[in-house]
Amino acid sequence: MTQLKTKKIDPITVQVVLGALENVAVEMGHKLARMAYSSIIRESEDFGCALVDIRGQQLCESTHSTPLQSGPIPGYIKGIRQIMEERNDAFHPGDVIMHNSPYHGASHGPDVGFCIPVFYKDELIGFSVTTAHHLDIGSSTPGSCGIVDAVDAYAEGLQFKAIKVYDKGVKNRYVWDLLMDNIRAPKLVVGDMEAQIAAAKIGAQRYIEIIEKFGLDTVVAASEELMHYSEKMMREAIKKLPDGEYSAEGYLDGYLDSDDPAKKDLKITVTVKVNGSDMIVDLTGTSPQVKDRPVNMPLMGTVDIAIYLTLRSIMLDSTIYGSFPQNSGLVRPIQIIAPKGTLCNPTFPAPTIARFNSGNIVADTLMKALAQVVPHQVSAGVGNLQVVAFSGEKDENYWVYMDIMEGSYGGRYGKDGMDAVDTLYANTRNNPIEDIESHYPLRVERYELKDNECAPGKWRGGIGSVREISFLADGSFSVEADGHKFAPWGFDGGKSGSVGSLTIQESEREEPIKLPSKLPNRIAKAGSKIQLTGPGGGGYGNAYERDPDKVLSDYLDGFIPKEKALEDYGVFITDSGKVDYDKTQQLRKR
Amino acid sequence: MKLFGVDVGGTFTDVIYNDTEKRMTAIHKVPTTLEDPSNGVVQGILELCERQNIEKSEIDHVFHGTTIATNAILEYDGAKTGMLTTEGYRDIIHIGRHQRPQNHSIMQDIPWQARPLVQRRNRLAVAERMGPAKDQIIKSLDEDQVRGAVATLKEKGVDSIIVNFLFSYINPSHEQRAKEIIEEEYPEAFVTISSEVSPQFREFERFTTASINGFVGPKVKHYIQNLEHSLKDNGISAELHIMASNGGVATPKTVSEKPVNTLLSGPAAGILGGAWAGELTNRQKLITFDVGGTSADIGIITDSGYSESSARDTWIAGYPVMVPMIDIHTIGAGGGSIAHIDEGGAFKVGPRSAGSRPGPACYGHGGLKPTVSDANVVLGRIDEHNFLGGEMSIYTNAAYKVIDELAEQLELTRERTAEGILQIMNNNMANAIRERTIQKGEDPREFSLVAFGGAGPLHAVDVAKILNIPEVIIPLYPGINSATGLLTTDLKYDVIKTEFMLSTNMDFERLNQDYQTLESQLVNQLKEDGVAENEIQIHRSADARYAGQGYELRIELPSGNLNEETISEAFTSFHESHKGEYGHNFLESPIEIVNIRVTGTGYMPKIEKQAINHEFQLEDAFLKKGETIFNINGNLEKVETKFYQREKIPGDTEFHGPCIVLQKDTTTVIPPGCTAYIEEFGNMIIKVGA
Repeated sequence: MTQLKTKKIDPITVQVVLGALENVAVEMGHKLARMAYSSIIRESEDFGCALVDIRGQQLCESTHSTPLQSGPIPGYIKGIRQIMEERNDAFHPGDVIMHNSPYHGASHGPDVGFCIPVFYKDELIGFSVTTAHHLDIGSSTPGSCGIVDAVDAYAEGLQFKAIKVYDKGVKNRYVWDLLMDNIRAPKLVVGDMEAQIAAAKIGAQRYIEIIEKFGLDTVVAASEELMHYSEKMMREAIKKLPDGEYSAEGYLDGYLDSDDPAKKDLKITVTVKVNGSDMIVDLTGTSPQVKDRPVNMPLMGTVDIAIYLTLRSIMLDSTIYGSFPQNSGLVRPIQIIAPKGTLCNPTFPAPTIARFNSGNIVADTLMKALAQVVPHQVSAGVGNLQVVAFSGEKDENYWVYMDIMEGSYGGRYGKDGMDAVDTLYANTRNNPIEDIESHYPLRVERYELKDNECAPGKWRGGIGSVREISFLADGSFSVEADGHKFAPWGFDGGKSGSVGSLTIQESEREEPIKLPSKLPNRIAKAGSKIQLTGPGGGGYGNAYERDPDKVLSDYLDGFIPKEKALEDYGVFITDSGKVDYDKTQQLRKR
Repeated sequence: MKLFGVDVGGTFTDVIYNDTEKRMTAIHKVPTTLEDPSNGVVQGILELCERQNIEKSEIDHVFHGTTIATNAILEYDGAKTGMLTTEGYRDIIHIGRHQRPQNHSIMQDIPWQARPLVQRRNRLAVAERMGPAKDQIIKSLDEDQVRGAVATLKEKGVDSIIVNFLFSYINPSHEQRAKEIIEEEYPEAFVTISSEVSPQFREFERFTTASINGFVGPKVKHYIQNLEHSLKDNGISAELHIMASNGGVATPKTVSEKPVNTLLSGPAAGILGGAWAGELTNRQKLITFDVGGTSADIGIITDSGYSESSARDTWIAGYPVMVPMIDIHTIGAGGGSIAHIDEGGAFKVGPRSAGSRPGPACYGHGGLKPTVSDANVVLGRIDEHNFLGGEMSIYTNAAYKVIDELAEQLELTRERTAEGILQIMNNNMANAIRERTIQKGEDPREFSLVAFGGAGPLHAVDVAKILNIPEVIIPLYPGINSATGLLTTDLKYDVIKTEFMLSTNMDFERLNQDYQTLESQLVNQLKEDGVAENEIQIHRSADARYAGQGYELRIELPSGNLNEETISEAFTSFHESHKGEYGHNFLESPIEIVNIRVTGTGYMPKIEKQAINHEFQLEDAFLKKGETIFNINGNLEKVETKFYQREKIPGDTEFHGPCIVLQKDTTTVIPPGCTAYIEEFGNMIIKVGA
């Protein structure tokens, strides 16, 4: 291990080095997105890139990607190092290491990391890493989402624990053959992996260039300053909160169609303990792990990221604070307590592949706890995402397509909730309808906001969307969703939001069939149409205090019917579509 | 030929005149008339005519750069819009790509939700649906519904209607029919259909582009009509052309129909001005560097001309725009950028700017925050007596005061703080250039940096040093560079069509036919604009990617009949450019031609180069000696520095840094170790020392 000299460094050089490091992460992200083959990376941007120093601290991350991917990268490194140590393995120049073990830092199995150890003058100085969500990882059913019936870690697909796919620069072709043989849609997936490696190589090269330019000790000193800086930002923000404990509870649907009570209505408990500039996030009280269903969350890679990201978005909101470096310093003041054997800290081999929704509930519940102390910085309850894996057979193999359906935000102090958008620790992009229909036997029949449905509040909840997709050829699909039973919470007198739903209309039936939020692979005949409705965020504040003109505007835009304007908001809208202010005032007095 | 170029900026309207026969050039600046910028345009032309005794009726051409469309969208001040869209997809422009612009923010606004280009109440759905295959009509257009919707929008007082149908880039017939119906039912309305503005796949981006067109349309149309009348009323019968974002000019008629093409009118002209300066010095590889008070615009020019941004990379005011544009990389760094210490204690410069009011502290308009200009004053680089030709006072003490306050917080000296501000700023700008060069496989050491704008020449050499760029070019008129660029352009139109064709399954008949259709469309358009057939040039290209990828790269294609052989050369060049752009390629993978493109240019008369006056000696240009602070190998040193007057520096005479060259609209800093000279056609060339 390198001895770290602490060199005194001036604030100007710190900024110059920071700019250079951030530039690298931007370049890696840009190139990965552009080279990638599958829409989950190139359109949804479900990938991450970062440089990590020799101590395993993240130096910079790609801003052009989803936070749930870049955030866990230091954990990947930690896991890789642990495994390599156990196996008496060592890093060499030219190595490329593949890793996806959720019990060793990976976010979940489909998020495969590629790590390049970076050497400068024969000395290991850090790592260049890319992670990305892959379409398929050899699970029991097609796709890498909606594997909601995996009974253990083995059923989730291939497990890579620090596998050298290049060893001292030599390609380990048997590993690649194994991948080609065990993954559905292998060309897409392997193409994406090659793109990941190419982007990681660029990162490694640029990292060395920076060190050559500024000197290793200057870069180390500057990066230490940057960590101090981010740490200080977070500590200052925590200090503003009164010392004390703030708790909240949130619930996960789990398996609504299951007879086993241990598989549904799963509880997440968050207690935030503030002491000066330190914060403990205690998850004690959270439901036990579900032994044979993959809604458990890796503590490192999912739970921690959900917490860090939510804290940052609330306490150091970039709209107010601007952008500043995302690095390991930011999380130093925060300690997480998650009892072993719970949803938030499962024991191997409990499955974790469908942990996405659970993590977003952790994030949402944390926000609910903080709402008690920083009510002007939070939103009311947030609607969860719903992910569908579509697949079918083609040319004696599979086509696989993953479609991510957004949620929506709750109302905020002074602002309505964001409509139909990815939420909390996810921030992917949808795939254009014109792209989907040009490349898969699917038709997106409808995609728009829900009419006449939003949570009342002084600042109303965000509006969910409706998405209908039909099969033009026989195929199958699986769904990983939540929020069909528990609606997003209202805040400060605002009403709670609305739940999401999933139905299928099969051509031979008259009535659509309601399906649960966690749906294992299901065969669909050509002509079948599935409908997803997205959840609506909670309302914020007393709806009777909402500006009547805003109520009118929502009515004109078809977000609320006239009766609701009257009933929920006490606003009287005339037949000619105007507010009757006198009548409104009278109504609101009551 | 007598040519005028008029570029309207936020503060000034810049005017340049060139008589191509007499090889005579004159320039002028008038304040921009914000209420109706056409007044300033006409005033500027008339004043310059009077000063130079130009007979205004003899002016042949007026080329114009305008910010009307840009400002309408930036200020969210456009037309009352309505939309007809496919039933079931009413909210595509509201949901967007369902991604939040910021990862870490609860309180953020989503631009297209907070500032909708068409309000939902005015987005009316009609029954129709095209499919992804050619000629696949899933549902035919319900014309009665269209008529009804148009009547509703008319009644609501909507004055601009946008038609956004799915898959219209493959089959535009429904959009075209809807347009006809609107024109019948409501002929006064401004009509935009998405397949005419940007016939490319990706519905959110296309619908938004069309909506921007509809949003800014009536304003631009009205402005151009005003300008045309006003020119005529003042006896100027010249032909008017408007600068478009693609680097060419267009007729008033075309711009009135597709104003979305003028969103980068001014900056595009700036890059052309930079290219012209490069041409005068016979340089093909250029980085243009335009720095003003609040931002820096960077453009790249290589052997194959200026680079265009790819369809998915252009954003205006937070909205995506899918029309051909010169790739202009803008960052928030300029003379007014504010230096500050943020909550975590970091020393930052920008992106906030003091603007022009109150402006930097040294302007004396009450600015209390330390800016980049104040740092330049502290270091002795901006001269208090000669700023903007002495027309503007500089308050040195005010600059000292604000820098001292910051220095105290940083526990650094005044000079170190000022120099630090410049270092941070210059590195930010260098990083922006790095993104467009090194990261795309271009080596800045092969380029010249062309610096202009009020603050570009102050920083150019320092930025060049960071990137090892060997040479800096300061054009003759760096303050009106965009106006100069207006006199170097051609009439230029782009047409595009989404093709989706795989290298493993080429249909040459379709490909050739589609190219021919696009080409004849362009030729007709240019002929309609009065261009003679022999002055029309047609250029083919295509957007291609490895099958399955989501981003395309531009490849060039030869004219004439395309076949196996010609296309395989093009595919080879695709593999090469993929490697250049991303550092990697996939030789085994099939290539997909996503869009085909044809660019047509019609020749326009251009500025003629002109040798500068040689009758001075270097002593004539000498103004004074001053003390300027430079960073020499990490140490700040106060060095005796000569100040020269640019207009009097003789040609082909070397002079050496440290020196500072003053001219009316900018100041050039030449640090120790650098050598400079003025060339025959007026460029100042600085050889960057180690």
